[in-house]
Amino acid sequence: MIAFENLEVRYSAAAPPALKGLTLSLDRGIVGLLGPNGSGKSTLLKALLGLLRPSAGGGSVLGIPLGAPDSARLRSRIGYMPEYDALIEDASAYEQVAFWGELSGLAPEAARDRAHEVLYFVGLDEARYRPVSGYSTGMRQRVKLAQALVHSPELVFLDEPTNGLDPDGRRRMLDLVLRVHAELGTGVILASHLLGDVERVADQLVILDQGLIKAAGSMAGLRRALARRVELRFLDPLDAAQEAALAELGAVLESRNGLYDLELAEADPPAVFRWAEAKGATLIQLTPRHDRLDEVLLRALHGASPAGSEA
Amino acid sequence: MPIYAPTLPPAPDLGQGHPPVLVLMRFDLARLWRQRIGRFFGFAFLLVLLIKLTVIYVKYLLDTNAALRPMQDFAKAVLSQGAEFQAGLLDPASYLLWFLVALVGGGLVARDTLYRVRPLMYAHPVSPRDYLAAKLGFASALPFLVLLPFVLLPWAMSLMVAGLQGPVWPTAPLRLLPAVAVLSLLMGALAVGASAMAATPRAGVGWVLGLVLGTSALASLVHGLTGFAGAEALNPVMLAQSWPQLFAGMDRPLMGWIPATVGTAFHIGLWTFVAARRTLPSEAVI
Repeated sequence: MIAFENLEVRYSAAAPPALKGLTLSLDRGIVGLLGPNGSGKSTLLKALLGLLRPSAGGGSVLGIPLGAPDSARLRSRIGYMPEYDALIEDASAYEQVAFWGELSGLAPEAARDRAHEVLYFVGLDEARYRPVSGYSTGMRQRVKLAQALVHSPELVFLDEPTNGLDPDGRRRMLDLVLRVHAELGTGVILASHLLGDVERVADQLVILDQGLIKAAGSMAGLRRALARRVELRFLDPLDAAQEAALAELGAVLESRNGLYDLELAEADPPAVFRWAEAKGATLIQLTPRHDRLDEVLLRALHGASPAGSEA
Repeated sequence: MPIYAPTLPPAPDLGQGHPPVLVLMRFDLARLWRQRIGRFFGFAFLLVLLIKLTVIYVKYLLDTNAALRPMQDFAKAVLSQGAEFQAGLLDPASYLLWFLVALVGGGLVARDTLYRVRPLMYAHPVSPRDYLAAKLGFASALPFLVLLPFVLLPWAMSLMVAGLQGPVWPTAPLRLLPAVAVLSLLMGALAVGASAMAATPRAGVGWVLGLVLGTSALASLVHGLTGFAGAEALNPVMLAQSWPQLFAGMDRPLMGWIPATVGTAFHIGLWTFVAARRTLPSEAVI
């Protein structure tokens, strides 16, 4: 779906690169593009849209090379939901979604029909005839999603789609993202700085920071890695020899007050019991570590490549 | 109530629609319709048009009705049939037109800036050149379409009531329509350039009026200080007045062909350049 090699993007010749030699290949699916504010997520989306020309390296989106003269053709196959509030305030949702459809190449009548369909799909019913200036944040986000889908793109870029939404609105937006991929077969690139959003919907993950890919891989791979994380507590404190022997089980990530945080070499928790028996230690707690993707993110951002990363 | 599919069916084929320039212009027209300023200007332009038509009819009556024969000499003095009369068909309308162009044109680009929709347009198959062409086209088409009846209706009425001897020359449209085209382009370029510098539609109106009045004042100042009459070519209001006079062949137009051409080319070039620079995607190179 998307591939790039040594992709470098600068906003001007004198400026430092906003993306520094990225190499990656992504399959069709829901890709979470994760990173703190200013990490280069939006820049990468603009480069993939053909709005920014690579200063070095290259790649292709849907088989069309980046920076190709016919980037307009590429943009008719992609939907883009920007992070900022790009709505025409004096027009209704219906009028503007039809307008965006026409700009993508739909005939006027087809664009009008399609606007109804896509607004119904995102959950805006009768409200679609009201000017968007009176809409709630959730409705505004859904209009933005509708305009990205109006022309049946093969790929949509969603830039912070849950920005400003309450928990219920967030859940509904993420449900829509899942439906876009599951029902329409559309590839999704979801840029977000919210780990929970990405974790909920993505099947691939790319972590960006300061214009560099810090980690990339499938969510399944990351989850497999996370499944190897366990916390251990023993009845008596381990002596120095026993502590050293913990390395036989895997990497000791943290040790505090008799609690050991391990990444097992193999996802085989019974091996821990066998090890404890062999070393004469009494194991009183073995807790699989769940919901630790935030730690993966933090470790990726602070240097160490997370387990399961393919980057 | 329509029944929709439980999920989203595929969209019809792309590539069946209109070019982006036309789509953008049509959307601007729909916006103008929503603004409802057409009522005021519609009434104002209609009044001006009615006065012109009345003048032509009165002229016809004075020429043909024996009872009014004593008034004919007076009428000939008042209702001239020369080039000045032909050029004057557009004159009062074009003054009013500057306000319409300021009110409508001032918001053309500024409204997109305010709502931040331009980057999203460029994320569609729309280039900055399409965008600029649409805005310039709309801002120029508006004065052209408003002035069109001022050329064609008096001409048609004159032909109908008095034939080739009517007060409006049979060839008047051939002379006035090119003038209308040039002055419409001038107004459109100035409005779009000014609007591109504004952050809100209201500021855009101020920018248009400020540029028109500012350059007019500057031209008068330079003319007054240096005595160089060609400086008036900076004055867009005078340029707009001059073109119908030049095309109608008036003996003493406000300015000659060369200063009018240079001044108009300067304004169109400058404000188109400003609009092009200001509507480039701020971070993108397409």
